[in-house]
Amino acid sequence: MWSKTMLLVCLTFLFTLAGRAQESESSKDRIIEDLRGEVARLRHDIDSLKSLRHSDLLTQSDMLDRLEESLEKRLTYLETKIDAVSRATAPVAFNPGMTAFINFAARGDSKKVYDLADPANEISNRPFLRTVEMELLGAVDPYASAVAVISLENQAGKEFGVDAEEAYGLLKRIPLLEDAPLGMKVKIGKYRAPFGVSNKIHMHDLPWTTRPLAVARYLGTEHGDFFESGFNPTGMDLNFYVPNPIPQTTMEMNLDVVRAGELTLSGGRGGSQPAYIGHLNLSRDWSNQHLLILGLSAYEEHGIAITRLYGADITYKWAPLEERESHSFVAGGEVFAGRHLFTDSAAAVSSNSPVGWYGYLQYQTSYWLYLGLRYDWVEEPSNDRLVTRSAGGYASYYTTEFLRLRLGFEHRWSDIPVQNNVNTVLFEINLVFGSHPTEPYWVNK
Amino acid sequence: MMKRISGFILLPLLALCALEQSPAREGKLKIVTTLNYLRYVAQEVGGDRVTVVALANARQDPHYVTPTPAMNQLTSDADLFIENGLSLDIWQKNVVDASGNPAIQPGSPGHLVATVNVPVKELPTEVSRAWGDIHPQGNPHVWLDPLNIRIIAANIAERLKQLDPANSAYYQSRFEQYKGRLDAALFGEELVRALGKSGGDVLVRKALNNELADWLKLRGLEGKLGGWMKEGASLNGLKVISYHKTYIYFADRFGLQLTGELEEKPGIPPPPQHRDAVVEEVKREGIRVILNDNFYSREAADYVASKTGAKVVITYLDVGSLPEVDTYEKLITFLIQNISQAAR
Repeated sequence: MWSKTMLLVCLTFLFTLAGRAQESESSKDRIIEDLRGEVARLRHDIDSLKSLRHSDLLTQSDMLDRLEESLEKRLTYLETKIDAVSRATAPVAFNPGMTAFINFAARGDSKKVYDLADPANEISNRPFLRTVEMELLGAVDPYASAVAVISLENQAGKEFGVDAEEAYGLLKRIPLLEDAPLGMKVKIGKYRAPFGVSNKIHMHDLPWTTRPLAVARYLGTEHGDFFESGFNPTGMDLNFYVPNPIPQTTMEMNLDVVRAGELTLSGGRGGSQPAYIGHLNLSRDWSNQHLLILGLSAYEEHGIAITRLYGADITYKWAPLEERESHSFVAGGEVFAGRHLFTDSAAAVSSNSPVGWYGYLQYQTSYWLYLGLRYDWVEEPSNDRLVTRSAGGYASYYTTEFLRLRLGFEHRWSDIPVQNNVNTVLFEINLVFGSHPTEPYWVNK
Repeated sequence: MMKRISGFILLPLLALCALEQSPAREGKLKIVTTLNYLRYVAQEVGGDRVTVVALANARQDPHYVTPTPAMNQLTSDADLFIENGLSLDIWQKNVVDASGNPAIQPGSPGHLVATVNVPVKELPTEVSRAWGDIHPQGNPHVWLDPLNIRIIAANIAERLKQLDPANSAYYQSRFEQYKGRLDAALFGEELVRALGKSGGDVLVRKALNNELADWLKLRGLEGKLGGWMKEGASLNGLKVISYHKTYIYFADRFGLQLTGELEEKPGIPPPPQHRDAVVEEVKREGIRVILNDNFYSREAADYVASKTGAKVVITYLDVGSLPEVDTYEKLITFLIQNISQAAR
């Protein structure tokens, strides 16, 4: 009921905006039409004057030149005005940029696979409309912008849940400071946490159909790596450049204070204490062809239990300067090490120290086709003696960056019998429509 | 608890605020541009009172530049950010957002859309992804018409005067000098000099109204025409195919006839059936030249050339894309000469 109401509200909002945009477009067209009419009249006047030049009535062409010049100036002014009006977006400028994302995926499995949150709920051998996302982004004022990503997420085939996947304001100037030293920016709200690389990427932008196991298991999931997952806490993020002595490199830091208990590894034992995230990135760019990014991440929470998670990541991207749309190569990986200390009973303290990692390669063979491989290795967060591994390959076919088809295969080994020895074929369609901007560091670009 | 929070937030902040933002630039304005032709024009107008750097590599497709952390940091202390606009270098938004530099945010004096006031062609009547990767504000490749560079240089000069009023006269003088050099390159030095102080402006008006030849003839000055307008006369009426709609402004200035594109829809590589349609068109129209931007695959152009005998000319769009094309003036000369040569 709640999700239907939200959907209705979103749709009403969109239709209202679309109606306003149409009205303003027609009024703009009228202004341009009027201006063009005046230009045509002036042009006619000039032509009449020119015809006089060749007649016997006027032989002194200097006077005509001066007259012509003044008319030309008026013409230039009007043409400039037409150009300005043509570009003007003032009547619609206060509308946020809007984009819808539809992600559909189907799976075929060699044995029964179940929802992580509900072991009785089978998810194997069926299609899913995984997410429908509505992204709104725009400027709040000259110093801040805002993003809201409202998502209808499939709850492992049972129903759709409405989630504010991201909703934050980005302050580009630190309050009380006239300047923003070291390019400081502050993000406040709910956002995909700057922990590692793939956690920051929305499902529709992932180069794979599923989240890496370590990201889904440690950072955040309800229904497993096949459904929307990751860590998007509520809090505040401070981002700035760090002066560093290594030449031709860029170092960036994120420091976050977030609500505790939202990380899967913490098992909901957040309590009232805040949690902290730190992320340090070092990158080097060679002539916009080779890009190497190294990252370190840390999470710490002292709530009802003590939870720490450390991460290291590496990404290398190559794209040639010429025929850049048709060839590229990406390789990367992330490793995570967690520590979770909690009280079992009045006297006993238990701990888990799971480790997980994944690595991937992707090569783009043409404008349309990307081929890739990924290997995952992860210890279960609740029991670090249980290991799950998976290996898979995929082919992504893009008609354009807005429509993607993907076919993949994955084999999974696990110390958890129900997850062991599963072969899965994955098929995915991703549709993007609206004013989606270019993605920074998008893995496919 | 509070100690932990304050330590976590305040210590790094205090340490960072104590650091110097960037090395001193000896009072020069720092300008960051998206494309290299903008870097060149900004440097010509700004002279030794500015430092200018471009983000894109000159050999890259200006539509598809991947913003990197290095670009963001480079822009973080810029005084002026210049973009082409017209939805060409839309990737700049990511850089400007990530720079954390309030001075260059859109709407600030430190953010300039260089093509303001440039008469834009091909404004679409319908904006839909069904038409491919179209530009909602019109064809953005405006800089390939030297007359538009005059407007762009004027925009840059005005903005520099606004940001650095103490050097206003200097920027105005640099702009006038650059405009003079452009006019001489376009019409020939002898003709511009013969017409006196505002000769360049008069010639520009005549060229804009497509009445330059008649006007010169009336005054017996046709023999004095030089520069690109004379050299480019060999392109007048030449039918060409281009990969993308890159040359509409260049073609209008020099009389090239663009009969079509290898792309069926902008921004999407040509499908095989469209290539065959282009082959038929090239044969039917007797087209001898195919213009292929250096950053696009030449596979389709080579295919059409192999079926028709047309010549493929690899073209470059930005200043610095080749060692010998290190100025805007050399870029236009390079295009005129290479296309003329292929047509012979």
